[in-house]
This record gives sequence, C-alpha cells and structure tokens, in this order.
Amino acid sequence: MKEKWRLLKTQNNSAFTNMAIDRAVMVANSQDKVPPTIRFYTWQPPAISIGYFQSLNEEVDLEVCENLGVEYVRRITGGGAVFHDKELTYSIVISESHPLVPKNILESYRRICGAIIKGLKHLWIESKYAPVNDIIVNNKKISGSAQTRKFKTVLQHGTVLIDVDVDKMFMLLKVPNEKIKDKMIADVKQRVTSIKHISGNIVSFNDAADAMKTGFEEEFGIELVDGNLTKEEIELTKKFEKEYFSTDEWNYKR
Amino acid sequence: MQLKSVYKVPNGKLLKIILDYDINNKQINKINITGDFFAYPEESIDIMEKKLIDTLLIKEELLEKINSVIKQYNIEFIGLDAEGLVEGILRCIK
Repeated sequence: MKEKWRLLKTQNNSAFTNMAIDRAVMVANSQDKVPPTIRFYTWQPPAISIGYFQSLNEEVDLEVCENLGVEYVRRITGGGAVFHDKELTYSIVISESHPLVPKNILESYRRICGAIIKGLKHLWIESKYAPVNDIIVNNKKISGSAQTRKFKTVLQHGTVLIDVDVDKMFMLLKVPNEKIKDKMIADVKQRVTSIKHISGNIVSFNDAADAMKTGFEEEFGIELVDGNLTKEEIELTKKFEKEYFSTDEWNYKR
Repeated sequence: MQLKSVYKVPNGKLLKIILDYDINNKQINKINITGDFFAYPEESIDIMEKKLIDTLLIKEELLEKINSVIKQYNIEFIGLDAEGLVEGILRCIK
C-alpha cells in the first residue's frame, strides 16, 4: 500500500498569509500532528518575496510596488528575490528523518525538483535539474526553489512559471547598476521561460496543479490525498502572520 | 566609516556586504552580510556578523575567524564559501 501524504490547494492568499501557512505546516508536521504535506498555491495580489538573507531596500523598489499594488515579504528560506505573478507555487513539508528525503541538502533539492520535472512532463514539457535550485528547459529557467530545515523538518518551496513578464519584474526589482539595466533585462529574457512560452498555451492553475500532483506521486511513490489546514494550523498561520510576516521588524530585518 | 561591496562569488551567488569599520586600526565595527545565497542554519549568519566584530581587515585573520565560526556552528553554505566571504568583505575597503 502506498504511503498517503496530504495535498493542499490554497489559492489567492496574500504574501504574508502564504509565508505564514508554509511555516505553520512546518511546525505542525514537526510535532507529528499532520502528515508530509504538498501545497500548491497562488498569490493575490501579485507579490515579491525576498530571500532570508536579502535586504528589502536593496532588492525591491518599494514605491513601484505600492503604485502597482504588488505586495512584498521576506521568506524564511534563502535564495533570491522572486516576483510571484502568473505561476503555480509549490511547497513540500516533510520530516528530515523521512526515508524518502535525502539527508544531504543538495541531494534533497535534486529529489524534490525531480517531482516538478515529472510534473512538467505531464504538461508535455521536457526539463532538467540545474543545480542548486533551478529547473531549466532548453537552458532557460522555468522553476526556482528554496529550502530551509528547522525543527528537524524540511520545507522547500518554489515556483513553476505559467507565464512571465520580465519587463514588469524589472520595474519592481532594483538592479546593482542602473546603467546596464537594459542589458540585464535582455539577458534575463534570454534565460527565463514559462509554460506559455514553450507550449503557446496558458494552462490553468488547476491543470498545472494536477500535473504537479502526479509528478510528486510518481517521484516519491506516494498517494496525495486532498486535505485542508487543521484548526491548529489556521491559528498558527494567523499568529505567524501577525508576529512575523506582516511586521516591519521581519521584512526590514536586513 | 561605512562602505559597501557587491561581489559575485565564483560558481556561487551574489554577495552584498555593508561594512562599518574603524579606519585607524582597521577593525570591523559592524557588518551586514546579505545576498541570494543559502546558509544552514539561517541564524548562523547573525552569529557570523556578531563574531566578526573587532576582527582585523586582513585576509588571513578574516579567513581564520570565518572558518572557526563555520566549524563551531556547523554551518553549511550553498552559493557561498569562506573565501568568497573574505573577498566580499575586503572589496569594501579596496
């Protein structure tokens, strides 16, 4: 019999709520209160998340964000700034001691990205892992991920680009050197792709989620069962949102 | 005196350092290590920043201090290493 993991689909949450849910599930799982969990989600309104070690003021043009109604939040994971717009975001929460997750961090990135690669195959897209944290199609990035380990639990979350607007992304992100901004935009356009750019179609969130669900089931040999956040996770989400992710202290930490 | 560096670690990520140092004795007063790298556990960077205070801005001194903190706190970097961190710090004063 296949091991059963929980599947959550939570659409249209704010940036603060999304980051709080990932942390809440991580805490609940670390206390053995919920099974390993895969979540697929979107951001409403669109948002920028920055890596744990990044400086919000250094990376993000906050005035443009305000003008365009784009939210911003610091993640608990490292890595770079990401503009979350037309994408499926995934997260996986699982105990560090679970036999299906490699103890070695780099190997665990590869394993979890393997699920996304299998999922993309179900959308007729051939992709491959590009260490450390990217998945590429014809040398162009279609997915990026970030992982943290706390309370003996692994959290990895990442994007699968359904469509991408590089020009808008660069309106929101600061670049180290304004003089070469145009060249940087041109470079990134050459190095980033999306499901729409490859297949010509916009897939819906639900279709992308179905494909990724199958990808995770195949990669880990498990069965994903639709579920909901527990009452306790909802309470934890509210707490983390209030105490961390919505506060200036957290978001301007660096 | 406060200075800044932006340094792409070879085969790694983009490191951005803000350094406040004593110009007379070349010691670190305060340092902010930012960038799109990964460090496990994440809190180790806060510890690294505190431990680097009063360290001399000399390559060997910095490397020794950073390596000792990495060892003591069992830090695992991805996209960053001790040499990259030293280079990023020293580029602030070049």
